[in-house]
Amino acid sequence: MSATPTLVARAGTFFHRYANPGRFLKLGARLQPWLTWPALLFTLAGLGWGLFFSPADWQQGDSVRIMYVHVPAAMLASAGYAGLAVCAVLSLVWRHPLADLAAVEIGPVGACITALCLATGSLWGKPMWGTWWVWDARLTSVLVLFFLYLGHIALIRAFDDPQRGYRAAAILALAGAVDLPIIKFSVQWWNTLHQPDSITLTGAPTMSSSMLWPLALSTLGFSLGFAAIVLARTRAAVMESRIRSLLSSPRRRGSNAAGDAA
Amino acid sequence: MTHLPYILASYGLAAVIALTLSVGAAVRLKKARTRLAALERPTDRTTGATPSL
Amino acid sequence: MTRKTRRLWLVLACVACLGAAAALMLKAFSSDIVFFVTPSQVAASAPPPDRTVRLGGMVVAGSVKREKQGETPIARFDVTDGQAAVTVRYEGILPDLFREGQSVVAVGTMHKDGFVASEVLAKHDETYMPKEVAEALKKSGKWDPRFGPPPSAASWNSMTVQDAKKDLAPAGAPSGAPTAPPTSPASN
Repeated sequence: MSATPTLVARAGTFFHRYANPGRFLKLGARLQPWLTWPALLFTLAGLGWGLFFSPADWQQGDSVRIMYVHVPAAMLASAGYAGLAVCAVLSLVWRHPLADLAAVEIGPVGACITALCLATGSLWGKPMWGTWWVWDARLTSVLVLFFLYLGHIALIRAFDDPQRGYRAAAILALAGAVDLPIIKFSVQWWNTLHQPDSITLTGAPTMSSSMLWPLALSTLGFSLGFAAIVLARTRAAVMESRIRSLLSSPRRRGSNAAGDAA
Repeated sequence: MTHLPYILASYGLAAVIALTLSVGAAVRLKKARTRLAALERPTDRTTGATPSL
Repeated sequence: MTRKTRRLWLVLACVACLGAAAALMLKAFSSDIVFFVTPSQVAASAPPPDRTVRLGGMVVAGSVKREKQGETPIARFDVTDGQAAVTVRYEGILPDLFREGQSVVAVGTMHKDGFVASEVLAKHDETYMPKEVAEALKKSGKWDPRFGPPPSAASWNSMTVQDAKKDLAPAGAPSGAPTAPPTSPASN
């Protein structure tokens, strides 16, 4: 216990190095192309491979190609929410201003990717299972995740005082993180219509490598793309907050009206 | 029976969402950048021009 | 400094409490979260005929009987979980994935003479392999999809379509030896 304050403090200093908006913007601008272009390359390569060159499945036929969209989207839906939870801890414990801005920006992107996961799951379920939707544990827990995202988006923008919105949304993000292990293990804990994971940490993937490679490629591409979009949005948000503070600073009051009129 | 429509709909949806998000982010970033640049550059001109404050 | 530490502990405590609460709740409701019941559960205590249940299990090989009553196809098949089997009767078109050995979920009611399904959903497993590889596994006798899941993934997941075709072309398959290692138990 005696060691924790220094550890907490040291972690705080580390996180706050990048709380400086100028430093973040500089670093972000340098990082952006390294995320954007590989993301585009890997996503197109992975999806192209999956759509045109990977083999059809022995029982699902060509419908298995939906996997190359659905699985990366599902992984990112969870990973994005885990990102929200990390931001929430940074925000609640260290009052990190960038974590709040990042949380505002992760929300809509994560909600979109979760919607993509649900929609492609439906499009996959109809021809394969014979139904668009069932209320099994996996599908329901992902739907709950989608609503958690929507709640976060609404809550973080709901207050006139943004700080209160950040606090409330951070608490929601942390509480909602309980859903993540439920999603992950739902297919092992309960009977579900959804099949168990093909790729596990412990065993060999029950998937032909000729399908695993394009899947890995598109997962990498999707992840980089998610990061690139969140980074771009967070950079824009930092710039916008700087614009707001510039416009509202008393020194600039005179040009404020002119700027608004333009 | 082919399931092509389902496959195409999935990929199309992915493309639409990816395109919307990335173009939106790019436009927003560009707008913010030009606005910030415009605000930060003429600082010395406006401070000289507005003696009333 | 100490305030931050206290906040960290507070956050951790809240997350732990919430996690525990959720875990307890899930444990309490776990029988309701289950999407389907198994044939042995049905055999042990049959649900009342007015209650809709979902019955999940594997279609027993050789048990599928299809007939036609006018226009509507009628299928009869046994669903098993390895311990008990229940006969299912279904009127309508079965999903594409339906086959012997496939896992299915039948939605319907339990009657004296068997289960009457109003809907049959196919449940595919987590095995993804090209058609050719599946053919090669079947041909080499390592796997019959009608009787259970494929052999351990490590024995086939690096097999390419070309390897599989090589295995398939000569019936004795003398050439493709290195690609398909002889896994000892073709276990199911």
